[in-house]
Amino acid sequence: MVGLRHRFESRAGDVTVLDGVDLHLDAGDHAALVGASGVGKTTLLSVLGGLESPQEGTVRVDDHDLAGMSRGELATFRRETVGFVFQHFGLLEALTAAENVELAGSLAGAAAGPRRRRAAELLEAVGLVDRARHRPLELSGGERQRLAIARALMNRPRLVLADEPTGNLDERSSTLVMGLLESLPAGHGCTLVVVTHDATIAARARRCFRLSGGRAIEEAIPV
Amino acid sequence: MSWRDALVLAVKGVRRRPGRAVLTVLAVLLASALLTALLTISTTARTRVLDQLSSGGPLAGIKVAAAAPDPAQVNQDNPDVGAPKDLDGAALGRIRALRGVRQVIPVLSVRQYVVPPRGPGRRRTQPFIGSVVGVDLRHVGLLPITLEAGRLPVAGATTEVAVTDGYVERVGVTPTQRSRVLGTVVELAAGRLEDDGGHALVRGRWTKATVVGVVGQDAANGELLMSDRAVREAQAWIASGVNNSRVLGGPTSPYAGAYVVAHGIDAVPQVRREITSVGYSTSAPENLIASVRRYLRVVEIVLAAVGIIALVVAGLGIGNAMLAAVRERRREIGVLKAIGARDRDIYRVYLIEAGTLGFVGGLVGTFVGWGIAEAVGVVVNRYLTQQGLEGVRLGLPVPLLVGGIAGATVLALVAGTLPALRAARLPAREAVSGG
Repeated sequence: MVGLRHRFESRAGDVTVLDGVDLHLDAGDHAALVGASGVGKTTLLSVLGGLESPQEGTVRVDDHDLAGMSRGELATFRRETVGFVFQHFGLLEALTAAENVELAGSLAGAAAGPRRRRAAELLEAVGLVDRARHRPLELSGGERQRLAIARALMNRPRLVLADEPTGNLDERSSTLVMGLLESLPAGHGCTLVVVTHDATIAARARRCFRLSGGRAIEEAIPV
Repeated sequence: MSWRDALVLAVKGVRRRPGRAVLTVLAVLLASALLTALLTISTTARTRVLDQLSSGGPLAGIKVAAAAPDPAQVNQDNPDVGAPKDLDGAALGRIRALRGVRQVIPVLSVRQYVVPPRGPGRRRTQPFIGSVVGVDLRHVGLLPITLEAGRLPVAGATTEVAVTDGYVERVGVTPTQRSRVLGTVVELAAGRLEDDGGHALVRGRWTKATVVGVVGQDAANGELLMSDRAVREAQAWIASGVNNSRVLGGPTSPYAGAYVVAHGIDAVPQVRREITSVGYSTSAPENLIASVRRYLRVVEIVLAAVGIIALVVAGLGIGNAMLAAVRERRREIGVLKAIGARDRDIYRVYLIEAGTLGFVGGLVGTFVGWGIAEAVGVVVNRYLTQQGLEGVRLGLPVPLLVGGIAGATVLALVAGTLPALRAARLPAREAVSGG
């Protein structure tokens, strides 16, 4: 990511949130993005994950140059390359846990049999195999976030982006969820970027970037 | 995402908000029911009534008078008749043989001395000379006879009579209370001229008949309606007198007239012309029928318009409900996009959701509408049966039912297009927005 600029337009005036962000992550990295509220952490994550196109600058993920992509190409990029984990979980209440996980496979065009088996494997991996038929509202916060992680991994993403994944969880659940997320780079070979306000979580990352004044500054991780 | 997966997702989305789904379906249901009921009724009215008109019925009948035609008035619905002319069996046979004639129903008439029962307050009503009309009551459904109260005399009965409002008023009863004459007994006398040793003597044949019904009738002039048998017996008594009792005003024509039913409404003018060429005056409500047809068409258009307006309102309801759903589910749509949904996947899900609401509402509503039409049909049939007319069978209007369901679904799809497009165009960043 080189020279990324992003601003929000409004009647009251434009607000520049990212003002020349340079950021380079290696495959398999585990990075934390920290900073005060409103500095653009989530915006940076959105651009990195293809939720919106970069307005200025270059963003490359593997061989994908996100700046020149159409809406359809960005959708394909998100489907094949990225896994999202949201603070609000982002689960569909009408679907069961297994169906929520399968949904990502369905969007990728996976056949029913293989995607059902993959969903079962992932639910097993996050410890929710016995809650497969439960709906999100019947699960605890920690369980919902583990379910969201399982869904994010459905299409074997190269990049997992987590936006305040423990923001709605208690300490015990946070530990469990972060344990799962932190195991992804090694276990699934993907790059993990976590937006967090929690210094403890940031300290457990391999690299930490602080967003301030529209720029990202890498901080040393205390050993 | 496949259509099947989109369908599953859409149906689950509908079930997630049962209250809104039920209300939306209800709007479509009511509109479909209204449209189906109105169209079923109006289509039945058109097909059954016009069928009856076109294949023969009271309005398609031609009244033949025992009189010569007035050449100046042959094309009028109700022309003045020319000079009296006997209408006998041979003449009816010639008319029956004409092309386009489906049935010929003879109408008899006899003048009799009528002695009504005592009226209100035991006051006796003045006897009078009245005409008794006789027809084969088995064919009453084809004749211009409308039952106002009670029932029709049994075919072939000689002791039952139906009276007109003219008789009702004559005996001092208002038409609104016409049922008060039912069950009363009227005495009738047919007069025969006899020769009593050089002196003329009038001998009466007295009969009693119970008033069983009040009718409106246009088969022939007369205040009383009886079976053809009863009138024939009275006619035979009169004719057996000296010189056929003609000095008493007995009938010269065996039949007072006839009612001719044409094969089709379009055949009526031609049949009328041919009967005129046989030598008899005719009348038929041709212009009236044309007006009835026009009115039925207008009614049909108006009813269809009412139903279509209801469907459009229902469509707006679907559109509104879907727009509200899109507004509420912005983040959900964002999440779907974040995990890889394309615009067309979202569009498909929301369009199917709208189509599902329309299909379910249309399916239930169409059958409910048909049920309403059936219920109306029962009421109408009860009335028609009382009138001695053939009932109306609605049948199962399959094209209408299929059209109703398909129409509601298509309407829902059209109404859901804008919300679905709006959902599809939502940016993926909604997944991480504050909402």
